[in-house]
Amino acid sequence: MHLKFLPVLATGLLIAPSVTHWAEAPRPPKVEFSRDVRPILSQNCFACHGFDKAARKADRRLDTKEGATATRDGVTAVVPGRPEASELVARIFASKEEDMMPPKKSGKLLTALQKETLKRWIEQGATYQRHWSFESPQRRLPPVVPGASHPVDRFIQARLAEEGLTPSRMADSLTLIRRVSLDLIGLPPSPDEVANFVKASAKDPEAAYRELVDRLLSNPHYGERWGRWWLDQARYADSNGYSIDAPRQIWKYRDWVVEALNADMPFDQFTVEQLAGDLLPNATENQKIATGFHRNTQINQEGGIDKEQFRVDSVFDRVATTGTVWLGLSVGCAQCHDHKFDPIEQKEYYRFFAFLNSQEEPTLKVFDSNLDVRALTAEFKETEGKLTELLKQRGDELATWEAGLSVEFKKTLSSELQNALAVPQAKRSLAQNRLLFGSILGPSDGFRVVNDRYTDLDTLLNSGTTTMVMQELPKPRKTTVFIKGDFTRPADEVTPGTPAVLHAFEKPREQPTRLDLARWIVSPQNPLTARVIVNRLWQQYFGRGIVETENDFGMQGTAPSHSELLDWLAVEFLERKWSLKEMHRLIVTAHTYRQSSSDRPELRAKDPNNILLARQQRLRLDAEIVRDVALAASGLLSPKLGGPPVYPPIPDGVMGQGQVKRAWTVSKGEDKFRRGIYTFVYRASPPPSLNVFDAPDGYSSCTRRLRSNTPLQALTLMNDSGFFEFATALEKIIQKDGLDTAFRRCTTRAPRPDELAVLKELDTLNAARALLNLDETLTRE
Amino acid sequence: MNPDHALREITRRHFFSRCSLGVGSIALASLMAERGLAAAPTANLRNPFEPKPTHFPAKAKKIIFLFMAGGPSQLELFDYKPKLTDLNGQPIPDSYVAGKRFAFMDSTHRTNLLGTKRTFKRRGQSGAWVSDLLPHTAGIVDEISLLTTCKGELFNHAPAKLFMNAGSGLFGRPSMGAWVTYGLGSECDDLPGFVVLQSGPRGPRGGAVLWGSGILPTTYQGVPLRNQGDPIVNLSTPQSVSVAQQRQLVDAVRELNLKRLIETGDGEISTRINAYEMAYRMQTSAPELMDISGESQTTLDLYGIKDLKETSFARNCLLARRLVERGVRFVQLYDTNWDHHGGPTENLEKHLPLKCLDVDQSSAALVRDLKQRGLLDDTIVIWGGEFGRTPMGEVRESTGRNHHIDAFTMWFAGGGFKAGQVYGQTDEFGFGAVEEPVHVHDIHATLLHQLGLDHERLSVRSQGLDFRLTGVSRAKVVKGLLEA
Repeated sequence: MHLKFLPVLATGLLIAPSVTHWAEAPRPPKVEFSRDVRPILSQNCFACHGFDKAARKADRRLDTKEGATATRDGVTAVVPGRPEASELVARIFASKEEDMMPPKKSGKLLTALQKETLKRWIEQGATYQRHWSFESPQRRLPPVVPGASHPVDRFIQARLAEEGLTPSRMADSLTLIRRVSLDLIGLPPSPDEVANFVKASAKDPEAAYRELVDRLLSNPHYGERWGRWWLDQARYADSNGYSIDAPRQIWKYRDWVVEALNADMPFDQFTVEQLAGDLLPNATENQKIATGFHRNTQINQEGGIDKEQFRVDSVFDRVATTGTVWLGLSVGCAQCHDHKFDPIEQKEYYRFFAFLNSQEEPTLKVFDSNLDVRALTAEFKETEGKLTELLKQRGDELATWEAGLSVEFKKTLSSELQNALAVPQAKRSLAQNRLLFGSILGPSDGFRVVNDRYTDLDTLLNSGTTTMVMQELPKPRKTTVFIKGDFTRPADEVTPGTPAVLHAFEKPREQPTRLDLARWIVSPQNPLTARVIVNRLWQQYFGRGIVETENDFGMQGTAPSHSELLDWLAVEFLERKWSLKEMHRLIVTAHTYRQSSSDRPELRAKDPNNILLARQQRLRLDAEIVRDVALAASGLLSPKLGGPPVYPPIPDGVMGQGQVKRAWTVSKGEDKFRRGIYTFVYRASPPPSLNVFDAPDGYSSCTRRLRSNTPLQALTLMNDSGFFEFATALEKIIQKDGLDTAFRRCTTRAPRPDELAVLKELDTLNAARALLNLDETLTRE
Repeated sequence: MNPDHALREITRRHFFSRCSLGVGSIALASLMAERGLAAAPTANLRNPFEPKPTHFPAKAKKIIFLFMAGGPSQLELFDYKPKLTDLNGQPIPDSYVAGKRFAFMDSTHRTNLLGTKRTFKRRGQSGAWVSDLLPHTAGIVDEISLLTTCKGELFNHAPAKLFMNAGSGLFGRPSMGAWVTYGLGSECDDLPGFVVLQSGPRGPRGGAVLWGSGILPTTYQGVPLRNQGDPIVNLSTPQSVSVAQQRQLVDAVRELNLKRLIETGDGEISTRINAYEMAYRMQTSAPELMDISGESQTTLDLYGIKDLKETSFARNCLLARRLVERGVRFVQLYDTNWDHHGGPTENLEKHLPLKCLDVDQSSAALVRDLKQRGLLDDTIVIWGGEFGRTPMGEVRESTGRNHHIDAFTMWFAGGGFKAGQVYGQTDEFGFGAVEEPVHVHDIHATLLHQLGLDHERLSVRSQGLDFRLTGVSRAKVVKGLLEA
């Protein structure tokens, strides 16, 4: 069988994978609606003859059998079994422009093969099926394939066998340890880890690999690597966005994600806490922090705006994000009209919207969990008393000092001191007195001890960390449909509810809340969430999901390349109690994951885009990991977990690009060398070295990163002061331990003599720079 | 000679020649194929900026967009309304403002009409009205199409700027320059295809999203050329590294990457090899571009450039010409502070004239210069802001006008736009269009049309939707703006 691939974007190399256009392939005689017919109808007909009442032409719908077979004005679009009597057939084969369907002005054109498929479908009785993703996943037994025992491999290899293809050989142990380390923890293996793994593999490769995977899954860096995967979807960044883009504090939410993943919090709980943690009985501080998920929307601080407009916009974003992240559906399309392709009415959209429309958006003050707030508050009061008493006792010292001040000298003082001095002594505030005393007393004066402690306590208690959270309004906001999505045009009032096409929503109380929505999402009856999430895990490992359109499982999405495998994984996910770590383990232990990624001549003709996975896929590392790998290779990496975002060096002038110039004070010490996930991200002026490698902008949910490959990336790796500093450190390693070691630190493997020869022609600094610039260093092979 | 060595030699020779990247990729591909190495799909060997075929023959190839950020007042510059002066200080009739929303004011709050203090004259053979604030622009009215009936949808700065650039007020959509380079590629192999230049006291509201690539690959986002420091972020070689060392680095990286390409057959590696070559060339070509010392005094005088190094709109106009000369596809200039509400530093009497002084001479000079060099035929020059200003005055510390989206003025020159006409007619107050309203999406459709692109076919799939620059509702190509 010959497969034909059409790229979804005309860019080819930029977006590495391409969509399989299954409808183009020659079909076995039996036409199947979901696989063969619906994609054609959805792409070409549903916009005018589909679910959206308002857009429907000639009162004809083709998305249901009733609609297609109904007779209107003596015309029947589809007469099952009789193509010659079916108007649809007459119209798609029509030669006169005014009769042709789809009409010329739509710009849509059916291929001869597509016309033939529709005709044969009618011939065979025009059976309709429900869209596959709206049916619950079915547990199917993996096919029996000689030599394959892992269920994933059995699904993959059975399909390969149909095409007469075989999987690739197992990748060598060096490639394998680098691959699985980068995939699970986002860091390359250390030279010691490599040596141990190679030794253990020689004895028992299976046991060595299993042990390696176990070790990586319990490494706390796992939470950082997969936390970033989730933060992309949560559209996390450290500023308010829009034009003013002021900084915000919400990194506690980031740390919550990392910790939850490290603890392997079951994904259903992970979901409920983020969508509605504040509504759980006796919600803990952590559960409240988790609701930061939906606070990652932008806030417009521009003058003259209509605040309600932007509040409504943020709710639109929350609805769209919830739909995309958990349901893999573009519910956002029904904001302005009934969905044109998926059965979601505009009214249903606003019922969904109603769940997310009744919140206050407060800031939560968060204390270090090791802090005893009560004791500290008591101490703070006590210190304040002591301080006031001290100041009273020693008032004379101040008066004497003050009396001796000349007018000229006073002018040289800071404005704060001058302001304090302008107030009569008796009327000065505690702050002013502390300031004045602080400037006249010697460094070892007893006053300082009390005063410094007071400052510490004040910082700990009053200007500690805050994080943005959700809180339900005491009385829900009224929600209405907005005509054309325009908030100035309210129409019918609606109550919270979920789309009828999906599983039933059990209404546990009069006024359902976000908590009920969250529980509906993780209900075992939900046909979508488990599939959507396992598909996104798969995508990280192979560069493309089993469903290529990872954010659209609706009718416009692409069909799964391996539908039975997808269902099998989804069922496993539920049976393994929503454990993400179990799913990771399952996938990375398959041969499909562990095979070599090198291209093979026979695959180029049959499967040039590697959809069938007869080999692994080389993948350029994510932006943050490009940094992490360079840091690790050069020995500079700080392994510190969590905490406030940091400010590694960035090129001059970058922060002046936005409307408001923002400060960027470069972090000191090890904070300069933290992992990329901890770099402060301003939405409007993102750090260039992350931005050029396609880190998402945080404006909307990102469920799949692009992998571009550009000259600006080359300039960054060659010239950026940060990367140059890494190269200088790597140069020291070359000088101390030799080129061979430095090469291994970057690629995990040993250099070949011809490679070494190229590097030896360079001075040591340039050799270090070359190593950090290698395609292989930036790539998971 | 062993085969590996032969391959290396040929590719070295190839890369040292300054031939186009696209051709280079093909040469490399066939070379690899001959050796039975990496007959990866040819698409994988293509340079993302390789010129691509148009949907139909193009009238223009390049665009320069002069963006007056803040919203210039059409009523002080182009749209002459004596009736406003007659009724100065009187309330605007209810029929105009009923149900409208404005920034910074409630529409129920009555505001009064404001007549202009500028003097208007008919100019050139076309007889277009232009005020005394733009004497140089007045001199080129016979080269331009003056469109007085532009219509937008959003009245706050950042969303409206996005709307003008990306056809949507939402963040995360590709800007026009990104769409155009995505659709057409670039004819320049040593500079980015989409370049942004800025002048004025601060960055434009909205910042980098205005030239973002949104759902398109970041390859297509605009690259700001900066006047201070490196023109492009990370362009210069680190201080302690010599030019020779940098070349050695690029050569070594290429050689090692090539070995890996042979080993793995992954076409992405050849793309990266090309990217390093272009990066290296940019290190020379971008500083060359920014150095205008070779321009004649006549040229500098034409633009009104006094200081060769100082950032100014005039200098940016000259750079724009130098960029399109080098084949850059889309150049966008932002000049900020056109927001004349009537505050202490933003009124119509004192500050608007200063802004006009900044841009008038050089905008006109750009059109003249392109014309005399034969570049105007295939280059479109656009002048305008994100919206215009209200016929009603706004009284803060001094006089100004509020944001207005129902009718504002832009002009277009070259690239097949009709020369010497005023298009569209606004009502007696200049509040809305009475003839030929032109929506921002229509402007987008028209620009793409001139470039040989059908705005309905230039689309990309994301989140289950086909996204276009011109959005969902039907946009039209405004034939009246174009030469027959």
